[in-house]
Amino acid sequence: MSFAHPLRFAFAVVAAILFAVVYARLVRRKTAHDLAYSNLAFFADAVKPRTWIPRALSVSAVAAIVALAFAAGEPRMTAPVPVRDGSVFICIDTSGSMAAGDVAPTRAAAALAAARAFIEESSPGTRIGIIAFSSGASMIQPLSSDHSQVEAALAAVPSPSGATAIGDALRLAAASFPSGGHRLVILVTDGVSNVGVDPEHVAEWLGTQKIPVYTIGIGTPNGGEIPGSSDEATIDEGALQSYANVSGGAYARAQNATQLHDALARLGRVTAFERKRVDVTGAFTLGGVVLLVGVFLAGFGLGRFA
Amino acid sequence: MTARSAPAERIRQALLNGRRRPRQPGGSPTARRGDGYEFVELRAYVAGDDVRRIDWAASARSCEVQTRVILEDISLTLGAMLDDTPSMRVGRKRSLAAAAREAVELWYAIAAADDRCVRLIGNALHPVNAYRGASSAAAALNATGTFDLRSSLQLARTALRPGAALVLASDCFDLKDEDDMTLFALARRHDCTLLLARDPWYDELPLSGVVKLRGAEGGVLRAYVGAPERERYWKAVRSRESALLRRFTAAGWRTGLLHESDGAASLAGAFGA
Repeated sequence: MSFAHPLRFAFAVVAAILFAVVYARLVRRKTAHDLAYSNLAFFADAVKPRTWIPRALSVSAVAAIVALAFAAGEPRMTAPVPVRDGSVFICIDTSGSMAAGDVAPTRAAAALAAARAFIEESSPGTRIGIIAFSSGASMIQPLSSDHSQVEAALAAVPSPSGATAIGDALRLAAASFPSGGHRLVILVTDGVSNVGVDPEHVAEWLGTQKIPVYTIGIGTPNGGEIPGSSDEATIDEGALQSYANVSGGAYARAQNATQLHDALARLGRVTAFERKRVDVTGAFTLGGVVLLVGVFLAGFGLGRFA
Repeated sequence: MTARSAPAERIRQALLNGRRRPRQPGGSPTARRGDGYEFVELRAYVAGDDVRRIDWAASARSCEVQTRVILEDISLTLGAMLDDTPSMRVGRKRSLAAAAREAVELWYAIAAADDRCVRLIGNALHPVNAYRGASSAAAALNATGTFDLRSSLQLARTALRPGAALVLASDCFDLKDEDDMTLFALARRHDCTLLLARDPWYDELPLSGVVKLRGAEGGVLRAYVGAPERERYWKAVRSRESALLRRFTAAGWRTGLLHESDGAASLAGAFGA
């Protein structure tokens, strides 16, 4: 936390301490509202009064003063705030290996279902685009904040076939992003990049542009047989982790449809917020005032000696 | 001797009657039978005379049953323990200590010319000299010192002449369980009366919400007082008062309540006067 006006905050702290001293003296001062009682020990033992309430009020009063002292310094803090200008590209692998059935019903179908979950969990204003890639990369859905339209576009993702051009997909996403805002790429793939540009270089460039790449590797440890061929669908976890690391994103492994769904849904929620420096003066002011009014009403306004 | 008020006269009579009729077996008047009686004359026996008063020697000399006519010694020693500690300096409109002082003023107002009035304060009787009558009452009333209940009870047990009339006006907050034996011993030796200070908020605790209580003997208590607390207070005060009255009554004391509004009436009430 930092303060826009540290000097003002320092003055406020001094004022708060002075107030606390005066308040403590006022509390101890003999007033007409005090009840002079013959034997406090008897009273406390017989009545068992709720002494925690005045203590809580005192703590609240101190908290209120502290909050107002903070507010005087106009504090700024880094906090998660809802993304308002977010842009997300979901790059879905449609290479031939995505037809493997080790992730039920197939890796491709599971990936589409998970992408749907991500879209549903995303905050309403986030613009989402779909890129499908195999031997090349194609834009299925440009960035759009109409999530129903994006979900509908998933139907246009082609069936699995061909090679894996991860680099091309990342480059197409990089080229299609707006120049500013909260941007990120979600890469759902099961294989090794084997055609096109070097994905590592593109991921690095994306990292310099503060566009993290979240990679999700699909497939079981034993891999899966690609239907119609004798090849095994393998996964290059090291490469996927590297793309995530150099760009500032994260990698997750999904060995079944549920894990994949959960991973993307979680990403949808996480990417709905971003950490920003925000001015929290209003919150501190409001909190301090509410506490002070509450303390006043409960401690002075409601207590009476008839 | 100045004329006493009606309540003072009734209290005096009650004390004198108490000397003739001990309120419990083994009480002081019976134990010291014959003390304080002054012979006046002999006269012929008439039916109803106490046979213990027949003077057999005089009867033999005159060949007629003679009864000794005696004058009852009606001088009293009036001891008072006036609790004026800080816990008694509280009240709704005036302090309990003021009411206690009123009660003691009435107590001393019953004194006749030959009566001795003393205050028991701490470890000493006041006045220390043998004043009697109004002068001793004034000296006792104006005596100063730091009152301590337990010391005063011990002092009454050891320093007062047996058969003295003793009044204690106090809230009894300093009374301990082990003092019961002292209370018993005092009642056997003297005519003892307790005026227990009634809690000023006996009827209703006038507190609500977050309040501050200032202890008469120091300290501050800030607390929230609601209906459950008021209910507990109501019960505790009644329970304490009745328990104390039971303790003193069981020990042989005459008991009454000291009301903040009128100390003299409270003392008269204890004697049914």
